[in-house]
Amino acid sequence: MAVSRDTIVAILLLAFTALMWNASTEIEITPYATMASSVWPQIILVGLGIFSALLLAQAVTTKAPAEFKADRLGPAALLARYRNALIIYVLFFLFLITLPYLGMLIGATIFVFLALTLLGRLSPRMVGVHALIALGSVGVMWAIFTYALHVILPQGEILSNMY
Amino acid sequence: MILENIALAFGAVFELRNLILMTLGVTAGLIAGSIPGFTITMAVVLTLPFTFGLTAVEGLATMIGVFVGGLSGGLMSGMLTGIPGTPSSIATTFDGFPLARSGRPGYALGIGVWSSFFGGIFSAVLLVTLAPRLATIGLEFGPWDYFALVLFALTITASLSGETLIKGIIAGMLGLLVATIGEDDVNGVERFSFGNDMLANGFSFLPVLIGLFAFSQLLSDIQDTETARKPLMEAGDAKGVKVEHWNAIKTIVKSWTNVVRSSLIGVFTGILPAAGGSISNILAYDQAKKASKESDKFGTGHVDGIIAPESANNATAGGALITMMALGIPGDVVTAVMLGALLIHNVQPSPTFIIDNPELAYSIFIAFFLAHFIMIGMQSFCLRAFLLVVRIPMYTLACVILVYCAIGVFALNNIQDDIWTLFIFGIVGYGLRLLGFPLAPMILGVVLGHVAELNLNRAVTISTTGDQFLLDMITRPWSLFFLILASFSLMFPFYQKHRSSKTWTVFFPPLLVLALSIPMFMMDGMVRTVIAFGLIAIAGYLVVKAGRRGFRVDPDDTPLTPTA
Repeated sequence: MAVSRDTIVAILLLAFTALMWNASTEIEITPYATMASSVWPQIILVGLGIFSALLLAQAVTTKAPAEFKADRLGPAALLARYRNALIIYVLFFLFLITLPYLGMLIGATIFVFLALTLLGRLSPRMVGVHALIALGSVGVMWAIFTYALHVILPQGEILSNMY
Repeated sequence: MILENIALAFGAVFELRNLILMTLGVTAGLIAGSIPGFTITMAVVLTLPFTFGLTAVEGLATMIGVFVGGLSGGLMSGMLTGIPGTPSSIATTFDGFPLARSGRPGYALGIGVWSSFFGGIFSAVLLVTLAPRLATIGLEFGPWDYFALVLFALTITASLSGETLIKGIIAGMLGLLVATIGEDDVNGVERFSFGNDMLANGFSFLPVLIGLFAFSQLLSDIQDTETARKPLMEAGDAKGVKVEHWNAIKTIVKSWTNVVRSSLIGVFTGILPAAGGSISNILAYDQAKKASKESDKFGTGHVDGIIAPESANNATAGGALITMMALGIPGDVVTAVMLGALLIHNVQPSPTFIIDNPELAYSIFIAFFLAHFIMIGMQSFCLRAFLLVVRIPMYTLACVILVYCAIGVFALNNIQDDIWTLFIFGIVGYGLRLLGFPLAPMILGVVLGHVAELNLNRAVTISTTGDQFLLDMITRPWSLFFLILASFSLMFPFYQKHRSSKTWTVFFPPLLVLALSIPMFMMDGMVRTVIAFGLIAIAGYLVVKAGRRGFRVDPDDTPLTPTA
């Protein structure tokens, strides 16, 4: 019998609920509180547990739709389907990690350029267009936030060392 | 006093800087609303980072501009290309596209634009008159009632926002759980920090919201590489189209009953938490079709088929604002974002909001009126801008907007942790979308989590014991009223699914009305007793009407879906 996607989701949700319940028992109980700080999260977790169990029951008893069965993909096909999302996540993660060094202006420009180049068509002309879009869009946003809204955006070690 | 407040609000709204911001907001909304896949909510969410540098009046007025513009912008692509720009304009396409295709695109656009205008103005009038009255009713609410109201808001959001009720409720609970992370508001105790400083500080509401909604939406939009690389749409035929204002106004005035009926449907739908323009435009279209003598011509370019959805979706905005301003509960995700904008400016929406912040409240009223006039003025200009914007491929737009989200989120509190929050909830939101979980209940859960806990805490403190608290929940009239609504809203998806096949569905509406009469009887005052008797009479009428049909269901009474 094939295990449906919702079955896996429901089991993961139940495991998550159990983990959070365990964490909720460690919430400090203050002597002055009328209602302990753990009560509300535990009410939510009871509800989450019940509905996750219902989702599991529904997933187990309901036949998986035909399109879902046809939709089963191998790792390579899955990777191809979610390629763009993965690219963005990896680039965004790198952007965040390097933000203290590169700063918002340089980091964001590199992020936009790389994201556009990896998601769009690869040709010398398009690389140029992407570079222009990255420079123009980030430059304008940076200027608006810095000069019009007076937000001090992360400068980064590279630019800081230059001044 | 009221006149003084109106004068103050007029002064604030009609300041040159505010007028420019509103015009920019309406323009951005019109263009964003016209781009398929770029929802109004996303447009309003993306406006949010700008508002922190503005005054509360300017920020809210700009967001209202985007909201109104977005509602009207969706009709442009729907009519000219057959692809609705937003879910609020789905029904507009049914007749708008055929009419435009028959050689009258300017007339079709004119009908759409002016119907939006009249629907919006109608709801603005109701907003000004109803919100203060509803707020006085809200003053009667105790913590039990507020807690029950939040429960109702969450259950109805879960039942209306997706096909699976269970997933909707789970999403709502995940949202509530996210709101508990960090320091507890009442006792100051750290929760679910797992020794991590970022978790110990809790998640800021706005990065969570932008991550859940905008970040994940953009990734969904670029999932298919080929589609992402193409221009947003082909709208070459639309060049040279001129909006026929005068003809459209004359036609709409002749169909004034349709405008009023559809606007009322829109306002009522907007007042309900979570039910937005995506529902009201289809409901209004359906009612207009049923009421029309030419119902067989619907779908071929009938003007009433454009007037109804466009009046309704703009009127929904007024309804959603009524709930937000009078009760402090967001009527939909857009007003949840606006609530966030109010919180940035340390304004807490509640029943005392209008009394405590009269200048801001009346500014919102006036800005809502004004936004519709600006929308009319900017429509022709935006038609040209729309033709330019839709030539941009989605991946270009998405990459630039993602960076804008990061900068905007950072600007809210000047901390990099907020960008991490954006990133984490971007992943969560995208995952939930892929797994079929609706995001609206989760967002409402995050927004309302603190309100729910605070009121639960107050209620438990006053009730002194758990048993007394439960008794208070069902013996206080407003609390009981909302609990009944919450219970029935949980049943609503089953009613929708079976209403053309199962006999029990015949009794669902009268039973709801009858049940609501109980708390009305429990309330003080003659008027409410009369309303209670009225509700019993309506329930009786519905039962008698069903009895005349032999308690048989109507097989044609199928649930409305966007594809209906």
